[in-house]
Amino acid sequence: MLTYLLRRLLLMIPTLLGITIVVFSVMAASPGGISAQTLVGGMDMKPQEKQALLDYYNKRYGLDQPPPMQYLRWLNNVSPIGFVTDEQGQRGAFSFSKGMDLGTSFQYGRPVGDILAERIPITLLLNLVTIPLTYLLAIMIGMKSATQRGSSFDVGASLSMLALWSIPTMLAGVLLLGFFANVQHFQWFPTAGISSREALDMPFLPHWDDNGFVRGFLLDRIWHLILPVICLSYGSFAALAKLTRTSILENLHADYARTARAKGLAEDEVLWKHVFRNSLLPLITVSAGLLPSLLAGSLIVENIFSINGMGQLAVEAVKGRDRELVLSITWVSGFLTLIGYLIADFCYTLADPRVSYD
Amino acid sequence: MQKQSNSRDWVLYSLLSLSILLLVLAMYQIDRQWLKLTEMQSTMSEQAKAVRELRSLIGSGVLTAATSGEQRGEVAPAFQRAHAASKLPDYAQGDWSVEALGSNLKTITPLVSADANAANVQSYVLESLITRNPDTLGWEGLIAKSWQVSDDGLTITFQLRDDVSFSDGKPLTANDVVFTFNFIMTDAIQAPRDRAYLEKIKQVTADSKYQVTFSFKEPYFEALSLAGGMAIMAEHFYAPYLQEPQKFNESKGLLLGSGPYKLADPKNWTPDQGNVELVRNDHYWGDVQPPYNRILWKVIQNDSARLTTYRNGDIDAYSARPVEYRQLKQDAQIQAKSHNFEYMPPVVGYSYIGWNQQRAGKPTRFADPRVRQAMTYLTDVDRIIKDVFLGYAEPAISPFGHAGKQHDSSLLPYRYDLDKAKALLKAAGYEDRNGDGVLEDKSGQPFEFKLTYFQANEDTSRMVLLLKDLYAKAGVKLVPFPQEWPVMLENLDKKDFDAITLGWTSSIETDLYQAFHSSQAISKGDNFVGYRNPALDKLIDEARRTVDEAKRMPLWQQAERILYQDQPYTFLMRRQSLLFIDQRIHNLQMTKLGLNYGALPLESYVPLAQQKYGQ
Repeated sequence: MLTYLLRRLLLMIPTLLGITIVVFSVMAASPGGISAQTLVGGMDMKPQEKQALLDYYNKRYGLDQPPPMQYLRWLNNVSPIGFVTDEQGQRGAFSFSKGMDLGTSFQYGRPVGDILAERIPITLLLNLVTIPLTYLLAIMIGMKSATQRGSSFDVGASLSMLALWSIPTMLAGVLLLGFFANVQHFQWFPTAGISSREALDMPFLPHWDDNGFVRGFLLDRIWHLILPVICLSYGSFAALAKLTRTSILENLHADYARTARAKGLAEDEVLWKHVFRNSLLPLITVSAGLLPSLLAGSLIVENIFSINGMGQLAVEAVKGRDRELVLSITWVSGFLTLIGYLIADFCYTLADPRVSYD
Repeated sequence: MQKQSNSRDWVLYSLLSLSILLLVLAMYQIDRQWLKLTEMQSTMSEQAKAVRELRSLIGSGVLTAATSGEQRGEVAPAFQRAHAASKLPDYAQGDWSVEALGSNLKTITPLVSADANAANVQSYVLESLITRNPDTLGWEGLIAKSWQVSDDGLTITFQLRDDVSFSDGKPLTANDVVFTFNFIMTDAIQAPRDRAYLEKIKQVTADSKYQVTFSFKEPYFEALSLAGGMAIMAEHFYAPYLQEPQKFNESKGLLLGSGPYKLADPKNWTPDQGNVELVRNDHYWGDVQPPYNRILWKVIQNDSARLTTYRNGDIDAYSARPVEYRQLKQDAQIQAKSHNFEYMPPVVGYSYIGWNQQRAGKPTRFADPRVRQAMTYLTDVDRIIKDVFLGYAEPAISPFGHAGKQHDSSLLPYRYDLDKAKALLKAAGYEDRNGDGVLEDKSGQPFEFKLTYFQANEDTSRMVLLLKDLYAKAGVKLVPFPQEWPVMLENLDKKDFDAITLGWTSSIETDLYQAFHSSQAISKGDNFVGYRNPALDKLIDEARRTVDEAKRMPLWQQAERILYQDQPYTFLMRRQSLLFIDQRIHNLQMTKLGLNYGALPLESYVPLAQQKYGQ
């Protein structure tokens, strides 16, 4: 198992390298280079000042060198071992402990690491709420549909799942906002952000005071998350429910399920202990793709609900040709994808004892 | 076996529930502390309010007998309007002003920030020596009580008020003014734009604690606004960054000034918070205390979400596009809760089509003024305004606004005239030689050009399609060329375009130097169409040197006539501001500077009955 893990981890390195090479070449080839964007503020700059700023960026990022050299330089900066580079961009001695430097974002003028550290928790919060919810609901509905195959519940669920799967998120998001956060219809939810300004001054838990009920920070946050989470989850939830149903149906009619029933086990026991466990495999496969796709897929939702997460950051970075930021984001999501697959492969062994990597 | 594992599970579960219970208890404990803190905070803000009221009592002269100053009872001219507002019967302090931003701010540190939204935030925090009177457009003292301009226009001396202090309580003196200038002129500080403007100042000296003198290298028509309009930065706060300029250049929220509002933490605002929040400056020195307790900007990127938020009453103002504005004017819900405003601010910018006259060292077909005039005749601005902007715009004749003194009112906009345009094009050598409906020049090249425009603006896209049809009538082929912003900027820098449509912002008096002087037709200069006219250059230089307004205005008008004749740009239009504002905001008035909403010192307020935010 350990050797397998090690092998997989080592294999990640060339994959990640490949990803960064592709992204770097695309960025290098795209029109409207870094210099154009950085010098936006420089419309009224004197030529020599502009030149000075250009020189600064050239030195810092080696922008005057050919793209392959720039790439190697970037790689040296982000890899935990490599040559030490000083402020002037001069290469120093080889070191094993220089640490990773994701660089400085051109348009924000801040270290990329700091920016990511701000944005990741927000996206993570959204997804940590969304993923378990999606799975829980999908499994419940899939299970019920499978055991009551052909019933009106099954037909109704199948139909509505298909419908849900077909609705584009951007439409659903705007409709939800327009109907459930609008004073003209039902103003049940807030329109934007992940917490309201007033809530920042409130205690964490809901309570009553002289002016009546105070919802508190926690409830306020949950209240803000409801619409975005619905938007994020309904699509994948529909797909997962259909998947669960099919996979459970298949196993319900398998020989081992009949044997279990024949030996006198209760139907619940058959369902949850035998059939369910075997039906998990396809769900695990899907989950591998879920981790990074939720990170990227939240872009639309984040924009509609004005949430400052990774999706928005990615779009801003690409629009602004912010090379360091784009590279870091693709690097992180690439890494997450690979980790997702690894976790999925590991979960197979938990769900199915026949699978082993030794 | 079954039983054993059950009992072990039981222990596990009870441990788990115990820890959850403990966690909940801990949360309650922390909440109790929080409540205590809030209590203390509200007590403190009440005390601050009491002190404020006391101070305004002193200021209004009720207690002057007890104190020494006699002139303290007077309200400085700059505060007159705000003072009059505070005497209205339903005037009340309190509540928040909440606005929406369409995109995240990258930084609100002065000098480093480049966009208008950040400038708007800073206007509540930083103050300058003088300010424009919204009724007369003349200058009035804010931090300065008086000033003198020398006869040659080369030195300006300001006498500062002695009661001005920054929001941390430290007094503002002449040293801070000198510091601000020196700070901006420090090369390591990333303020090239401000530096370019202040370059005309030779030096700033503090004559005494409350007197400061600006000396200029050469006479300059905007000398007073240059010196008096500089936002004063606090020396004790910003001086340490001279040692670490990079830290300042990369900072996101270093903002401290003498204005009526302040950042609760002047050093640590970061863009990831999304919202920008300013709180009342309890030490505010002004003659009138500001009405709102907080000014809050919410970031709402999605357009429909922004409108819904306005409908719900969670933001106080909504600025609409023309099509939207016309619809919303019929919308009963919006109408019931809003004032709506359609007005032309005097500083509104104009949009234009710039014709590139030089590309890769060679003159283009637009180098011929007859071609440019023909294009202007073909551009039916009235129709664009009617069809695309629904009448909420006026045609632009030149860079100067119609109401301003720089404008020569005898000039009339070019009217759409197909025959004149055809004749001009024919005179310039363009004819349909092969009968395909498109004009060709003498060498048989078809008259075809790409119009570069910013892709994300729907109104512009519609306008370009309309232009395509209009030009086609004269046999000129326009190829729409939508671009992303960074690509557009790069093309501008490289002068790599045929024609481009963009806008310039204006000020009360517009300087033509940046966009039309031939010295700016260099690489990456703002005269990116490569327009050169020595006669205009001379006029611009002379007007900029002329401090006397009566002599300067004829020069600008002469320059305008040259631009009108040459048409380096086809001037399109000035667009009205279309704005909905919540009815709870009172005392909104139109001034010569535009709507007074958000104009400082603040004049609008929320009456007590309509206030909805505490603290």
